[in-house]
Amino acid sequence: MSVQYGKVISLILQERFGPVVEKVGTYLFQYGTVPLLYIKKNTNLPLSKVKEALCILIKYRLVTFTPNRNANVANYTLQHDQVLLTLRYANYINLIKKKFGNECEMIVEELLQRSYWTASELILKVIERFKKDHNKAVTILSLREKFISLVNAQYLIRLPYSEEDKPVPNLILPETDQFVIPQFELKQMTLVQSGKAPVDSLPDRGVYWTVNFDRFHQDMRDKLIVNAFTKKFDENAGEFVRLLLQQMYIRTTPWAEVSNPVPVIEIRDNVRKQATHQHLLAFFDQYVSVLEQDNSQLIRQGGEAGGGSLQIFLKEAFVQFAWETVEQIVLEKFDSKAARIFRLVKSKQYIESDQIQQLAMIPAKEAKRLSYQLLEENFLQVQELKKSSSTGPNKSFTLFHIDINQVIRMTLELCYKTLYNIMTRKNHERLVHKRIIDKKQRVETIIMGMRVQGAGDEQLADIEEMITPPEKEILQKIDLTMKKLNSVELEIDETIFLLQMYLLYQ
Amino acid sequence: MNQASGSGSQGSTNEERLIELAKSKPEGISNENIKQQIPDLPLEELAVIINKCLKNGSLELFKTKDKLLYKYKDSSKKTTVRGADNEEKIVYKIIEEAGNKGIWIRDIRFKSNLNMTQLNKVLKSLETKKLIKAVKSVSASKKKVYMLYDLEADSSVTGGAWYQDQDFESEFVDVLNQQCYRFLKQKSDEANSMGGGPLLARNRSYATASDVHKFISELGISKISLSVDDIESILYTVVLDNNAERIVATNGSFLYRAVSHFVPTPGIVKTTCGICPIVNRCADTGLINPKVCNYFTEWLQ
Repeated sequence: MSVQYGKVISLILQERFGPVVEKVGTYLFQYGTVPLLYIKKNTNLPLSKVKEALCILIKYRLVTFTPNRNANVANYTLQHDQVLLTLRYANYINLIKKKFGNECEMIVEELLQRSYWTASELILKVIERFKKDHNKAVTILSLREKFISLVNAQYLIRLPYSEEDKPVPNLILPETDQFVIPQFELKQMTLVQSGKAPVDSLPDRGVYWTVNFDRFHQDMRDKLIVNAFTKKFDENAGEFVRLLLQQMYIRTTPWAEVSNPVPVIEIRDNVRKQATHQHLLAFFDQYVSVLEQDNSQLIRQGGEAGGGSLQIFLKEAFVQFAWETVEQIVLEKFDSKAARIFRLVKSKQYIESDQIQQLAMIPAKEAKRLSYQLLEENFLQVQELKKSSSTGPNKSFTLFHIDINQVIRMTLELCYKTLYNIMTRKNHERLVHKRIIDKKQRVETIIMGMRVQGAGDEQLADIEEMITPPEKEILQKIDLTMKKLNSVELEIDETIFLLQMYLLYQ
Repeated sequence: MNQASGSGSQGSTNEERLIELAKSKPEGISNENIKQQIPDLPLEELAVIINKCLKNGSLELFKTKDKLLYKYKDSSKKTTVRGADNEEKIVYKIIEEAGNKGIWIRDIRFKSNLNMTQLNKVLKSLETKKLIKAVKSVSASKKKVYMLYDLEADSSVTGGAWYQDQDFESEFVDVLNQQCYRFLKQKSDEANSMGGGPLLARNRSYATASDVHKFISELGISKISLSVDDIESILYTVVLDNNAERIVATNGSFLYRAVSHFVPTPGIVKTTCGICPIVNRCADTGLINPKVCNYFTEWLQ
């Protein structure tokens, strides 16, 4: 919750929903929970516009409402973290595609675009899209299976609903109802599909489904951990950790700080069943001891009974990952020497500058310069100890130390700023080259129109030549720039995710 | 024994006997002691011998409880002060006591009670006689310490192997750091390629500081000879660079092993903003803003 964060939020809203929604969203971000008329008064927008904007935001679950003390009026709150998640949509879709294939990808994509929908309508829409985009026929039955598997895996969740009729409804969702498979009536669906029955006649009307971000985050977290182990040890160790996490879900709540002990035998059985990692199976016991004896101490022996069991320390893992991330940032931003000083201070907790020179083996002058530079950029802190003595000179020690929470919040802030800068730059580039981009779009629409009318290749080529070669070059360059900026946006989001995980576990 | 012809040699043997006696009793000998041990020595001759010894410095005279004691003094040291005046002797003695740590000129002044100009003169004359030398301390570049000429300065003064004329040789340290890491990395790669399971590979990839020391010595990149402790401190910097881990072996020494990190380079530093030195001054308005940012422009090209 900072100015920088607010700027990113308004930029995202601006990009996705236009200026009116952005104005309302920004106001809500700044003033917290407020009723409708306050928004109208302070944004100077007509009431209808404000209402419209709120509707859009509520539809996308970016704004929630609660009854005021006067139960007829609602208070609106912006869910700013949800707004930020919109940047991660591409990641979610990619994740589902890898895990469940194309059909599921499209289901999630449609759902993310619409925010929520009934199961039957969603399936019908996906079938339609498949026909149009890929010219591929998909049956209702197979898609229904896919949908059910997504619900069972908890990637989709039912939208909270209201049971009583009140001016400001209270949306609830009993825990037992979250992942109950909806009723499908295939006959009715085929009728609707062919347009013989109205959409309202579907049996699951009013039962809306939406994407369960939490589940995606669990997957992303697991992937992060597995990748980390793969990087530190090898692929087999990564696979081992993946199976360990998989077994963890059976007896531990997903966001627990420490998993309950998982029997080693279970993991071994799974490795055997998979039969993909022969090396892991052959040296299974060795892998167990290597992982368990590692300095990082992320996997520890849980108990001896039944061949032993292992525990994975998730909170601890993210503490270490966050440290490493910060260390890498120091490394890239300053130098390897600065990173060395940073790690030295980390390992000694409190350290004097003389000791830094000696232990890090850096010349006195440079060590001083680097440590004070780090201090200036708030990566290090100093604590001064004054020895109070009535006689003789006053002796004081200057001890360096690190406040990791502060450093991480600062880094997160830097991430937001970077996001903001990248998005601003993107908009700026678009604005600068607006004329050419518009021209390209015009030409494209003309070509499309002519192709439909059945124009010859020569005519089409004539029109295409309206974009001159230098213009084409510029267009290519813009394209490249946009791609670069977009990919970097996703990479920053990964860093944000890691740091947010750290804060979540605190 | 022919007394008449051998009086000169007798004198020297008596002298030797006396010194022998003094050597055996480092706390000092009294006149009574001498009488007991060397009864055949006449008193006059003893006085001559003692005077001679006191003059050339092989014996020292002490007075405790109205008794005179003679103490033996190493003659290898005493020869150097020959021909020096009293001030020089005192200053020399003070410097000698400081050993290989050296002593600061201010401390000499306090101990000797000489004034500055006089002390400077004395020190200069001792220096020209090559009896003492001045060594610049690494801890404070302007501070000079004095010590005996033939002593090797302590590592706390010179800073050990890493200092050349009180300049820290950071390049030398960097090269050693890289080589140590290369050695550890090689070792772990070899261990991995040998096969035989991860535990075996891990245990094989550990190296002790003396292993690394041997490797570095064979490389011959160092002009001066490094001790194992020096290598140990270099290895610690490798650990601090997060390129190696250090564990304590069963015998209490350290074992080192190359390791890789958990986290790949974070996305934030792949952008220009993540490593931008002036990111704090960047804003929507003003000269530094993302729309005209040069770092961005360069990066996008």
